[in-house]
Amino acid sequence: MVKERDYRHSIRIDRDKCIGCSHCMRVCSTQAIRIVEGYASIQPERCVDCGECYRVCPQRAIYARDDGLASMRDDAYRIALVPSVFIGQFPSDYSATEVLEAVKTCGFDEICEVEQAVDFMKEAYRTYADNLFARPVISSYCPAVVRLIQVLYPSLTPHIMLLKAPHDIAALYLRLSKEREGIDPGKIFIYYVTPCAAKTVAARAPVGEAASPIDGTINMKEVYNKTLGTLLGRKERSARKRMADMTPDSVCWSLSGTEKHYFPGRSLAIDGMENVIEFLEKLESGHLSDIDFLELRACDQGCAGGILCPGNRFLTVERLEQRQKRLQLLMDQRGGGVENRLMDYGEMLQPLSGVEPVHPRDGLLLDEDMEKALIKLQRIKRLMTYFPGFDCGACGAPTCRSLAEDIVQGKASISHCVFVQRVMEKNYKLSPDQAFEVIEKIRGRDRLNKYNDTNENER
Amino acid sequence: MRMHFEIEGGDFTAAGRASSEVKKTLKQFNIPPEVLRKVAIALYEAEMNVVAHAWSGTMDADILPEGIHVVMEDKGPGIEDIERAMEEGFSTATEEVRQMGFGAGMGLPNIRKNSDRMVLTSTPGVGTRLEITVAF
Repeated sequence: MVKERDYRHSIRIDRDKCIGCSHCMRVCSTQAIRIVEGYASIQPERCVDCGECYRVCPQRAIYARDDGLASMRDDAYRIALVPSVFIGQFPSDYSATEVLEAVKTCGFDEICEVEQAVDFMKEAYRTYADNLFARPVISSYCPAVVRLIQVLYPSLTPHIMLLKAPHDIAALYLRLSKEREGIDPGKIFIYYVTPCAAKTVAARAPVGEAASPIDGTINMKEVYNKTLGTLLGRKERSARKRMADMTPDSVCWSLSGTEKHYFPGRSLAIDGMENVIEFLEKLESGHLSDIDFLELRACDQGCAGGILCPGNRFLTVERLEQRQKRLQLLMDQRGGGVENRLMDYGEMLQPLSGVEPVHPRDGLLLDEDMEKALIKLQRIKRLMTYFPGFDCGACGAPTCRSLAEDIVQGKASISHCVFVQRVMEKNYKLSPDQAFEVIEKIRGRDRLNKYNDTNENER
Repeated sequence: MRMHFEIEGGDFTAAGRASSEVKKTLKQFNIPPEVLRKVAIALYEAEMNVVAHAWSGTMDADILPEGIHVVMEDKGPGIEDIERAMEEGFSTATEEVRQMGFGAGMGLPNIRKNSDRMVLTSTPGVGTRLEITVAF
């Protein structure tokens, strides 16, 4: 069986800030987080970089690692790939042209909007639908969803669309066009301004391809701060676009509900991690038929809800809708004309647009060996009868079930459960000192010292 | 390892819970995704049959290193003509059940397609017993 074991991640824990409070552990859809020795720790084989933990961390101890503006090389021809949602972070009186011009001041030689590639995607979807791939075809657009399927829904991997995402197509187009302009291919560096952690991972460790055409990713918040500074400092307003450079609804492709219209047949758009999971459960049991396409986004409101988008997701959606209308107006004035230069490269891009089949990950696996796995499962069942089922998380695992799993994998012991611990103490199976040591293993060694003093005052 | 479930006839809102539990458990084993999907579909269809036709039933799933063996037993009207019931498109589902999107007569053929061995026995007026085996 082919498995994928490339577990590079963007979501990281800053141990200087983490207090092991377990907020992240509770929201993780794949139960990838444990509290060990006072810090949150992420299991790489389970993490899908959806960033739900990032949203809830009260200490801001979770961050999305990216390559950063500092990684840019001075001698390179630097191109920024900016997604439409970035433009949607700014009030509508700033035109897209103005915002993109301001991004240049971060140190780029050229800016390209990712959604330029959507016209290509629309055509690719039409041809893709002619193939006899397993239905429903699941969009490969959201990398967190692709990884979620690899980890939690292994049997659905054959449904994932074998097409690159628009930002990859845009990057390929930039390479082709810059080379034609005579720029040394070795000097071209393409940076993607990312709205989320999952897209950073997709660029660093892509699924279904050897390497991504993107050279680096930069956190949208970093670019936002610089761009806003430039825009505020500007006295003169620059001109708006005279010509639609893409079909109007392209700017809404990353939101929820636009992409699905371009796959022939019946399709659904689902956004938000919980909604996506609920639906995939149904799909995996095979009780859904005659649906041709699923557009799934890990974030509520699609990329407008990306964890690295500084603005309000609903405002972003509304601004992008306004922009779509403006582009429509431009298009109508020109008798329906769109001048998308990427489409001149359509034929060259077409053979480059596919990816290899996506394989499952073994995040849920108890053991490679079937007999050993069965023995472990039986032990889990027995352990579950001892635990209270509160899923209190005091043991450092999100649920009683996950504690039982950790125990059979040798990563925890039964005394981690605070309820079992009381019983063991009562029956003289565990001394108070031993019990204290167990708690320290979860909460961290120095963290409990502070109770020594407060004890006196509280009494 | 054995998993036991009680299934209530007519409760469409809870239908699929037993098969979903089994499916979740199987994901923790080193089983090819295609096989996992076969088991999920066969068990869901079998569970739906009990919900749609019988008064009550049980599902017992035995997970073994070489495969899964499932026995579904129900108390219900039973099947008059098993050979006809196995034909694609044949269904005795009531109009109500059909309006809910079930009863297209694909259940039993679908179970057969997604299992390696299937034994169906029934006593009209008493109930039905279905045995399914899927090898890993």
